[in-house]
Amino acid sequence: MVSLGLALALQGTTRTIAIDERLATDASLHVGDRVVVASTPGAAGDTVIVGAILSRRADPSEIARDEYRVRLHLDHLQELIGYGDRVDRFAVATRDSSGAERARTAINDVAFGFRAHRSRDVAIETSQTFRVVSRFHRAIGVITIVASAIFLLCILLLKVDERRRDVAALRLLGLSRRTVLGAVVLEAAFVALVGSLVGTAIGALASAAVNAYYQAHYRTPLRFSIVTPDIIALAALLSILLGIAAGTLAALRLVRARPLALMGR
Amino acid sequence: MRLHLAIASLTRHRARTALAILGVAVAAAMLLDMVMLSSGMRESFGALLESRGFSIRLAPRGTLPFDTDATIGGASEIVAVLTRNPDITVVSPVLGATVHVVEGADRTTAFAIGVHPAVQGDYEVERGADALAGDSFVANEEFATATGARVGDTLTLATGYSPQLRAYGGERRAVFSGVARFLYLSRGQPAIAMPLATLQAMGGTERRDRASLFMVRVREGAAPDSVQRWIEQTVPRVDAISTREALARVDERLAYFRQMALILGGVSLLVGFLLVTTLVTVSVNQRIGEIAVQRAMGISRAHVVHQIVAESLAISLLGAGVGLALGLVTARWLNGILASFPGLPTAIDFFLFQPRAAWTALGLLVASGILAGVYPSWRAASLPVARTLREEAVA
Repeated sequence: MVSLGLALALQGTTRTIAIDERLATDASLHVGDRVVVASTPGAAGDTVIVGAILSRRADPSEIARDEYRVRLHLDHLQELIGYGDRVDRFAVATRDSSGAERARTAINDVAFGFRAHRSRDVAIETSQTFRVVSRFHRAIGVITIVASAIFLLCILLLKVDERRRDVAALRLLGLSRRTVLGAVVLEAAFVALVGSLVGTAIGALASAAVNAYYQAHYRTPLRFSIVTPDIIALAALLSILLGIAAGTLAALRLVRARPLALMGR
Repeated sequence: MRLHLAIASLTRHRARTALAILGVAVAAAMLLDMVMLSSGMRESFGALLESRGFSIRLAPRGTLPFDTDATIGGASEIVAVLTRNPDITVVSPVLGATVHVVEGADRTTAFAIGVHPAVQGDYEVERGADALAGDSFVANEEFATATGARVGDTLTLATGYSPQLRAYGGERRAVFSGVARFLYLSRGQPAIAMPLATLQAMGGTERRDRASLFMVRVREGAAPDSVQRWIEQTVPRVDAISTREALARVDERLAYFRQMALILGGVSLLVGFLLVTTLVTVSVNQRIGEIAVQRAMGISRAHVVHQIVAESLAISLLGAGVGLALGLVTARWLNGILASFPGLPTAIDFFLFQPRAAWTALGLLVASGILAGVYPSWRAASLPVARTLREEAVA
């Protein structure tokens, strides 16, 4: 996306280039500035005019590379690096996805010295790094869920255990085991639900902080952490199920005991 | 006596104590993993770079070794200049290229390096002989598997494939002299190494007397930093990168993992701390009468504090013991996931076990265990004895 001005028209014989905003910031360049571009350090190169400044795309493949991007007209770059009438690749747009497959097959049938690939296949091939990172994040997520589950179980067991005298009193008043069990389990589920709501709010704040930090650190619009409804639903469901399980376990132990024993008599 | 009372208190609620220990164990495992992750990559990469004693690497200006296809011209002159410095003991020029094995209709593509076999630091010969003769090469197991070649076979190797002409720039018949393990290449990448002059000759005029990289070994006792400065002044068309600088660049590129390790390690420690604090606080609340009786019998505040801190410390230590073992297992699992990073040298470990990492994790857990006992012990020690006894009696 062009964020600052459009490419300027050729001024005499001086060509224009587009640079990315990272280079513009670091080198204090502005639209209209004259710079020298060369294919090797120290070579004479060409004097060109900065015609546009481009903002960075949210491309994960770019974040680890602290590099600058310069865009030249194709013939200009070919001339600058002595590449002749050659290109590294062609991007071909088709009307629809079935057209893409037909075009790929047709090109490969007549291709001489090159191959056509679907963008999707290229993306799969080049996204290996991010698939590894994604698998690593999922593994860390599993460990975190196990740790959280144990923490939740422990806290809810303690919470229910603290109610032993109340349970004894209710039982002595004549309430059935079933009613007491239901009440304790409901309380545990409520605590788990409120806890998961508070946790979601903390998670959303943490996610915003992570995005703010890493977007500034890597100078990219990429979102590093996303809180989706699916994630919230999973966290809340897991929390409530664990809460009910822990509440039931602890409550069963309480209602099976004699009320006077719960009172310490 | 204090320890006995602490153990008695913990064994009174076995299920609760077991869950707390398990919780601390998972937190401890995560903490150990994160301590290992925060330093593992750096240590592992540093060890790899220094494994053959080369402490400086020269790459084309503005690039990192093998980061681009750029090469450095006048390689033999650079070697001659560098070896004149008495602090430099070995200079190993390396040229990288893509080679194709041309045997019938089969085509296998491999990464090739041209080296001086006598001084190279890129591979270790495991079977057979080094590629000392001009028309010979060593290759890794992946290459042998991909081509089906065996040591002693003669293969046709070619470089400079032109897609337009469907022809190669240079071909050479060469003997597969030995199987080698390449130190800096990623898993699954077929690779060969051959004499530098052979690979340069196969590349034609474009590759004549050129190298992609120079590896420099410095005399023992000499300062690599001053040699690096001398190189940059003497050969200004190259970037001289010391191991220290290379590690700094790796640190920069992998800062994400280090920061994540710091955050997750901190969260793990906090979770363990909260778990122990909560458990011990509830435990103190439940036996408030018992503690009041102890105080009424003349047992000192310090004794009560020690007993409660011992409880929290016992949970933390037991959890840490289980957690450190669990952490080694999970670290292996996580390292297995990250090892499949494309382009990562096989020898790099993200989770590198070092005794220092285990001691750091254990130290943090012990400190957190002691801190976790502070609040409940303060609460127990500051009980108003008479009022508590009266309230407990009424209850």
